[in-house]
Amino acid sequence: MWMLITLLWRITSRVLRRLGRGTLLVPVAALGMVVLGVTVWTVAAVAVAAVLAIRRPSAAAGLLPVALICAGLWGLVLAASAPGMVAWTAMPSFSIQVLAPPPRFPAVPTGGKAVSYRTQVGKAVSYRPPVGKGVTYRTSVGKTVTYRAAGSAGPASQKTIVDWRVLPPPPKMVHLYMIAGKPGAPGRWLAGPGKPGAGLSPLPGNVTAAPGMLGAPGTWAAFKPGAPPVLIGRSQPPAGFMRSWLLVPLALLMLTVGLWLMPQSLARLRQRAGPLMPYLQHRAREIGWGLALAPATAIGMSVFGASPWTVAAVAAAVVITIWWPKAAADLVPFVLVALALRGFQLAVHWESLSAGTSGPGVPYGFVTVDGRQSALVAGAEASAFLAFGAWLVPRTIGTRMGSGADGDLAGRVARLTETRGHAVDAAAAELRRIERDLHDGAQARLVALGMNLRAVERVLPTSPQAALALVAEARETSLRALSELRDLIRGICPPVLADRGLGHAVQALVLDTPLPTALEVDLPGRPAAPVESACYFAVAEALANAVKHSGARHAGIRIQYTEGMLRIEVADDGVGGADPEQGTGLQGVERRLGTFDGIMAVSSPPGGPTMIVMEVPCALLSPKTCSY
Amino acid sequence: MRVVVAEDLFLLRDGLARLLSAHDFEIAAAVDSAPGLLCALLEHRPDIAVVDVRLPPAFADDGLQAALAARREVPGLPVLLLSQYVEQLYARELLADQAGAVGYLLKDRVFSDDQFVDAIRTVAGGGTVMDPEVVTKLLGRRSRDEPISRLSGREREVLELMAEGRSNTAIAQRLFITEKAVSKHTTSIFTKLGLAADQDDNRRVLAVLAYLNS
Repeated sequence: MWMLITLLWRITSRVLRRLGRGTLLVPVAALGMVVLGVTVWTVAAVAVAAVLAIRRPSAAAGLLPVALICAGLWGLVLAASAPGMVAWTAMPSFSIQVLAPPPRFPAVPTGGKAVSYRTQVGKAVSYRPPVGKGVTYRTSVGKTVTYRAAGSAGPASQKTIVDWRVLPPPPKMVHLYMIAGKPGAPGRWLAGPGKPGAGLSPLPGNVTAAPGMLGAPGTWAAFKPGAPPVLIGRSQPPAGFMRSWLLVPLALLMLTVGLWLMPQSLARLRQRAGPLMPYLQHRAREIGWGLALAPATAIGMSVFGASPWTVAAVAAAVVITIWWPKAAADLVPFVLVALALRGFQLAVHWESLSAGTSGPGVPYGFVTVDGRQSALVAGAEASAFLAFGAWLVPRTIGTRMGSGADGDLAGRVARLTETRGHAVDAAAAELRRIERDLHDGAQARLVALGMNLRAVERVLPTSPQAALALVAEARETSLRALSELRDLIRGICPPVLADRGLGHAVQALVLDTPLPTALEVDLPGRPAAPVESACYFAVAEALANAVKHSGARHAGIRIQYTEGMLRIEVADDGVGGADPEQGTGLQGVERRLGTFDGIMAVSSPPGGPTMIVMEVPCALLSPKTCSY
Repeated sequence: MRVVVAEDLFLLRDGLARLLSAHDFEIAAAVDSAPGLLCALLEHRPDIAVVDVRLPPAFADDGLQAALAARREVPGLPVLLLSQYVEQLYARELLADQAGAVGYLLKDRVFSDDQFVDAIRTVAGGGTVMDPEVVTKLLGRRSRDEPISRLSGREREVLELMAEGRSNTAIAQRLFITEKAVSKHTTSIFTKLGLAADQDDNRRVLAVLAYLNS
């Protein structure tokens, strides 16, 4: 037995290693089919998972933890809501028949809608108004209602009303739930609207289950109302298995594995999306507060209901955000104010407004207004919207109104302030480094040289031999000082860069690099010296990374200048995994280029290849003329 | 032997002139700019020019450009370039015409006047002298290559000295081995690198440098 398990484990791990972790996405998707039944959607999910696992294994592997977490959560929700399990025992609701309306209820016609009361014990009860067709009663919290449990002949009870709501029109189809029933044995029917677990109430009396119809507790069937009810569907047998004792541990296991794999998957996603990020960030910065328009309009959908108008408004918001980002930003405060106005209206007139709707209340943001408390919450939400809208005004519309300065200029100033900060910091750090190098290097050597010469003066008359040795040492010291100065200067401004510009300097760099590197330069003139220098050190950093970390066999550099944009690509065929977030080298490059409005994008998926693209807008000085 | 010295810093120019005079060179002209150098070279046709790479007017690689221009006018004009730094790129350009009679040294090398003067004589005699730092860089770049990695440690040392432009005698003295042993190593190096053996010292150096530069 043990050997069999070991063998199975080996085979599985080998297959997994060959196919990749993404393959596991298929069984996880197939679970959906087991739990939810074979529908178009579940089959499609399995098919998509299979295609992903085969064609895009890394994407499938990335999706796996998400799928696991979703499956785990869904399992837990199922376990909590499945009839016959936790949910049922915790939710014993019942239906009551109101024998007589409370005497002091004002009679208000509501068009024959059912009214439900929530009694003191907090259970939902519902009744169809027995007095007068098409007439029901407005009641208020605190009143007492006399009732008797439906179907029972016992004495009438009284309950105090703590809350009430208008029910939607009676459903054409109800779900009937069967519990504690075995074929042929007595069971109880429960009626519930639509979804399992929501507002279940027992039907009057005990019903004998039809032989062979339903088995274990928690299985369900749907019936058309009628006498007798007509069976129109029932849950699949595996559902009984899935909802048994195995469900909760399985769900927890999937959740744990999913959460455990998540960081890895996120890291991979970050790497994949890495090259996109600078663009997205750039766009986001450009759009600014306009980004809030679509979400604000979407809230409108929950405030005004999902009508064609609100859906169209959301679509329009998306279009405006993309095409006219500035207008989008200006619209956000207006949308927020509109939301707030509706909220205040609800807070004040909640009674009349909620009576006029067909739903259980009037939705507003996160609450459904159907009572005094929810009306107050809606009012608070409305105040928050209004405050946010007011706070946004000087940041959106205000930037254009005040003194005619436009948002572009403000953004530009912010960007310049930021990059100037970086540039000043970088320059200060560079000066400190130079100072330290000079202090510990050349300066110290000159001191040593002076001391040496002084010693020569002292010993020369008595011991010319010793003096000779000291002089040789002094010469050695001066050589070392020279060599250190040379290195220092190379770090400040490489000689070839100063002499001949970027193209030749990179060529010299390539010659000094032990990695075979193809170089392509199309640069009709010289950019300004600071730009040249930033670009040179950017290429040097990228190339040094390729040599040190990538294990590449070849590298390539392309320098191009088109239409005011200097574009530099550095690529290698190494192992990839370069991350600007890690280590300061590439970050420094990004900052330094940022000073000139340049940007850098890094694409370096694990396994390579790595491609670093830098773009700097700049003008070229006329090609340097040489008289020889 | 007549020398033209080009160096913009007075102290160094004066020092160089004095050093060379002390070793029985005749200073035909001592100039301080690239155009002056070009004129002096074409006018005096010296036996050798000792040139600083960085010269006025642009203070870039004007010295190198002027020397290359002069060599285009007077093919094989011996030129020894001095610089505060050495660049493979510039070494390549100097060696590009395969005519020999070029040298490229760090200014530091002036400190050992005997070796410096030897280098001047080698270049004046049509030989090639490369700074050890250039050779180290050349070898560093090629160190992953198959033929170079097959050389033994001793052969590598000989190759380095050969690329610097030293004669068999000088190599033997430097490494404390016999000249016969040096020529044995040389033959082995040429076989391993797949180069045709050449008895002429100058052509041999050029062949090695061309190989390393390829």
